[in-house]
Amino acid sequence: MDTQLGLIEQSFNVRYSVWVREALDDLSGSFTTTDPCISGHPIVYASRGFLKMSLYSRDEVIGKNGRMFQGPKTNRKSVMEIREAIREERAIQINILNYRKDGTPFWMLFRMSPVFNKEDGRVIHFVGVQVPILQKHRQSSSGFGRNGVNLCEDGVFASRRREVCSDSVAELARFLAMDSVLGSDDRELEVDEPSEASDLEMRNAVTAINNTLSVLTHYSELTGRLVCGKRCCLSGMGLLGSSLNISLGRIKQSFVLIEPHLPDMPIVYARDVFLKMTGYARHEVLGHNCRFLGGVETNSSTIFQIKESIRTEQACTIRILNYRKDKSKFWNFLHISPVRNASGKIAYFVEVQIDESRKNQDKQGLSHKMRQCSVVGAVKAAVRSLSMVTDTSNS
Amino acid sequence: MNQAANASQPTSSRFRRRKGWPATGVRIPIYRFGTESLMDNGFSEGPSYIPEEDQSMLDLLLLAQWEDRMWKGLFRYDVTTSEIKLIGGRRKFLAQLNEQWNKDYLTEPDNNKVCYQGDPFICNWMKHHEELLFCAASGEKADPELIPAAAVPHGAIFVILNASPVEYGHVFVVPGGFNSLHAFLDARSLELVMRFAVEINNSSFRLFYECSTPSASHIYFQACYFPNPLPVELMPVVTFFSEGQGGVQICGVTDYPIKAFMFTSNGNLKVLVQLLAEICYCLREKNISYNLLISDSSKKIFLFPLLQCTLSAWECGGYFLFKSRCDFDHSTEEAMLKCLGAVSLDDEGFQVVKQLCCRVASQLAS
Repeated sequence: MDTQLGLIEQSFNVRYSVWVREALDDLSGSFTTTDPCISGHPIVYASRGFLKMSLYSRDEVIGKNGRMFQGPKTNRKSVMEIREAIREERAIQINILNYRKDGTPFWMLFRMSPVFNKEDGRVIHFVGVQVPILQKHRQSSSGFGRNGVNLCEDGVFASRRREVCSDSVAELARFLAMDSVLGSDDRELEVDEPSEASDLEMRNAVTAINNTLSVLTHYSELTGRLVCGKRCCLSGMGLLGSSLNISLGRIKQSFVLIEPHLPDMPIVYARDVFLKMTGYARHEVLGHNCRFLGGVETNSSTIFQIKESIRTEQACTIRILNYRKDKSKFWNFLHISPVRNASGKIAYFVEVQIDESRKNQDKQGLSHKMRQCSVVGAVKAAVRSLSMVTDTSNS
Repeated sequence: MNQAANASQPTSSRFRRRKGWPATGVRIPIYRFGTESLMDNGFSEGPSYIPEEDQSMLDLLLLAQWEDRMWKGLFRYDVTTSEIKLIGGRRKFLAQLNEQWNKDYLTEPDNNKVCYQGDPFICNWMKHHEELLFCAASGEKADPELIPAAAVPHGAIFVILNASPVEYGHVFVVPGGFNSLHAFLDARSLELVMRFAVEINNSSFRLFYECSTPSASHIYFQACYFPNPLPVELMPVVTFFSEGQGGVQICGVTDYPIKAFMFTSNGNLKVLVQLLAEICYCLREKNISYNLLISDSSKKIFLFPLLQCTLSAWECGGYFLFKSRCDFDHSTEEAMLKCLGAVSLDDEGFQVVKQLCCRVASQLAS
């Protein structure tokens, strides 16, 4: 978990400098920033307004996925739509039912926008703004009697408690029992009804997104790693989309992806475990050829085998002596395999590393071979979504 | 490049011949489900031992075994070399060009019953025992467990590779094991399979059931990883039943050429299983064909009632395979709409099934 939090710190500081949090804290409104490049697509920043609204503390939110605010009555379709927007790296605005820490549900207008790396057009963060929808604006046939009553002041809902992170069996059972009791209450039904945001709420959402983007853009100028709210360049080298990043983030073993169509076949993706194993930072690895892992004692015929495997587009498994950043040596049990995209063409080569000195790490009792195969399988399944062509010639 | 070119005989005959599932003396990986019941305590958040961010052990096992067999050349072709495209139009149908795909096992009449009527163990599958990737069975420990090599337990789910895959990870998922002679979908089999989908916990993993083979000696599902959502999953739905226990909702899929239903549950998977099994039973009684698509880790089940069972379940979902480049290049949304529309029930027939669904759901709720 420490490395995860470290990555989250890095995700923000490296890009916008350490002062950006202060500036964001000064902004009013409820918003969060997430990083799709980190495993689990976690929240890396949450505004004061957001914490006040959700009743969570910052520590409880940072590092978690946004789904922690969803609950049993959250519309799955809306969740799917958000997921799709992330996958397609585009902005979205949607009404969705979320839950506070004390279990009270509330409708909000959620507006999300990708933040791009100016240089290569890659999505680095998503900014999400949450504007609570007041009940008086809700399109409810029976709602006029309770005009202006905010859900959080409504005692009925406060009695529900929901522990998302530690849902023990007992707690869930109690929660479900509560649910069925409350289900008979007519006020509960309102939660089921879709809620409409007013014009003012929509304007607020736009303003909040723009303010946040402008702070992020401004602070990225301080570090020279510029970001922007619109994708301005697509020339970038071997970019991985957010959705692929998220799929790959589920894999917990060390691997890198190599882009064979670029000069010198650079690494375009490196798993956190790889960085930990080799001691390099991500930026020292991305864009570089794997040869930096080799050293004086590395067998040149093994290196030749790797090159042949890539040239002939065949998978291969070898043992190679590699060096960490601190020059210490380790035997790398390495598997290389071509990975194809939606057009059936090779998009990447995946290299799965197993540090042979750390044999007893696997508590599930899976062999090295199986672990490697599972990584290759997961990567192949994920990369199949890339470069899908839409055929419009006939329609 | 295609390491899989050396497979010997077509999948169809090999698969059918082994319907009896002999399983003595063979030691294979066994995945034991955890005892923490997903069924009784709701699964909207998934089981606590599988955080959604991480790859589950079951997912890892299936992918590892599949890739291992790929490496060993047990498939007729490398499916990842085939081309996929989106067909232009509102429905976003998907088309795959796969010149080597063999659809035969879906349409051939199942006339090979020698297997279990005689000695089940003559089925000769030891020769190809590597096609059996692993088994999944209920376990006794709180957390799921992987046993690298063990005898096949009673009542296990068999996971067998499909040598003519339509996508990465294509397998047959056969519930019940060798003693079960059910030729129709029962609640127990459905529960095991849906639990399998829950524990695999990968949103690209989808399970299919086709009721097209009434003479088949054993029910089976198919499953694979589709990187993109199937078109039917993106269609708008209208909820017409939501008073059920366990948060069960029944929706009608709109704007789609096959009139279809979507079942969801925010709470109790067991209730959803009972409901579906009962509805499938009623459909069978009424001689209405249907296909099932289990997606989103069993959170969404699509039911396609059909006039005739000429389409596979993934075709019903909007994913089409083409064996010739010419057909692939000239595929259009209109043609796909026509193809799907031809098997769909008419309004009247759909209403009958809708009422049936509501009746069963109300009965279960009361």
